[in-house]
Amino acid sequence: MTARTLAWTSFIAIAAFALMAAARLTLLDPVENVTLNVTSPVQTTLSTVTRPVADWVNNITDAGALSDENRALREENERLTNELARAREQEIQQQTTDDLNLVRQQFPADVFLDADVVARDSSNARNVIAIGAGSGDGVREGMIVVSEGRSLVGVVTKTSSDHAWVTLITDPKSAVSAIVQESRADGVVSGNYDGSLVMEFVGQGAALKEGDFVVTSGIGGRYPAGVVIGRVSSVQTAEQDLFQKVEVDHLASLSKLEKVLVLTSFVPRTLESPQ
Amino acid sequence: MRYWTGALIAFLLAIVQASSVEQFKIMGVSPNLMLVFLVAWLVVRGLDDVLPMILVSGITLGLVGLQSPGVVLLALLPIAGFGVIRELHIIHSDLVLVLFIVFGSTIAYEMVMLLSTMASGGTLDIMTGIESFVIPAAIVNVALAPFVYFFMRFAKPAKRMGQLSF
Repeated sequence: MTARTLAWTSFIAIAAFALMAAARLTLLDPVENVTLNVTSPVQTTLSTVTRPVADWVNNITDAGALSDENRALREENERLTNELARAREQEIQQQTTDDLNLVRQQFPADVFLDADVVARDSSNARNVIAIGAGSGDGVREGMIVVSEGRSLVGVVTKTSSDHAWVTLITDPKSAVSAIVQESRADGVVSGNYDGSLVMEFVGQGAALKEGDFVVTSGIGGRYPAGVVIGRVSSVQTAEQDLFQKVEVDHLASLSKLEKVLVLTSFVPRTLESPQ
Repeated sequence: MRYWTGALIAFLLAIVQASSVEQFKIMGVSPNLMLVFLVAWLVVRGLDDVLPMILVSGITLGLVGLQSPGVVLLALLPIAGFGVIRELHIIHSDLVLVLFIVFGSTIAYEMVMLLSTMASGGTLDIMTGIESFVIPAAIVNVALAPFVYFFMRFAKPAKRMGQLSF
């Protein structure tokens, strides 16, 4: 290894740590904002051009489930399923009028801001997207993001003036308080590295079945109650376990999102512990 | 090779990686065309040529790919370490060398990403991460490597061997 090579390697290592520190101190935010402004048209074009090929390759390589998956049908299905879920939710909530009134007081009218997806996290470890609306458009950290079919997509975790970063519910760091609509069993829906969702901390006594809707519970104040997350795809119960293992299929096609809606009327709340 | 040529290629490659390649999911992971290209470039052109490209592509991918540029740079740095193997002439087949370095570099790259994600919080399991995407990513990138390598060999014969060697 020559001195020149060593110098380059050392320089890259130092630059890496310096950039990590700069990112930690949010010094890179303006640079990221400008870069996205400049490159997002190119990225969107490239992404649009490549998508049919990617869909074709993915259909071939993903042998298990999706040879007949049709994107338009999926979106339509998502919309109809959401309507069904909302209808069921209303039916259930009518039985608890007080709770319903409380929800209505908290969220009198949903106001959405639509935004294009301009970039995606390119690592395999994270599930984050960037959208073309930022603090200048009224987007704030903590606001929730839904698909056009009104299924939960994620939460805004970072903003710049023109863009916002949305951590998807499938991100390994995501955790959403949720309930199973039919049985009212509660738990936490978490993301996985492979983009799947699992509902944790569901007690053994809860009666669950495949196809049950999973919606946000509103517990903790970070998400409004009643937003559809997905449907139960499998339930594994073992006598020796404290909790059931529940796998959830998200309704929104998160890997193919092009446009999302930010729920700007919902402001997350931070609950303080009782004195 | 002038640095600006390599820098331009690295910049474009990072944008393609962030906007196009990430849409492809094979075994549940996206191939890392940029990493494979950098390794092929390393074997064909040498360590001195690839280091500036690592710098530019790492920063660009970090900025356009919604990751921390520093973390991406750190994750790409092991390519330089593997480059020493090329200089030592331990492996005489360039293709085998590419496959070996791609496998090792991908493991290192994804492990840095995994550890970075774990360090920033969340309830993450390292074994699940290795099983879910670190090993699959290495396999997918190794499968992609011969195509990229042969394309580059066609474009430019290796300096090291002076003649084609597979």
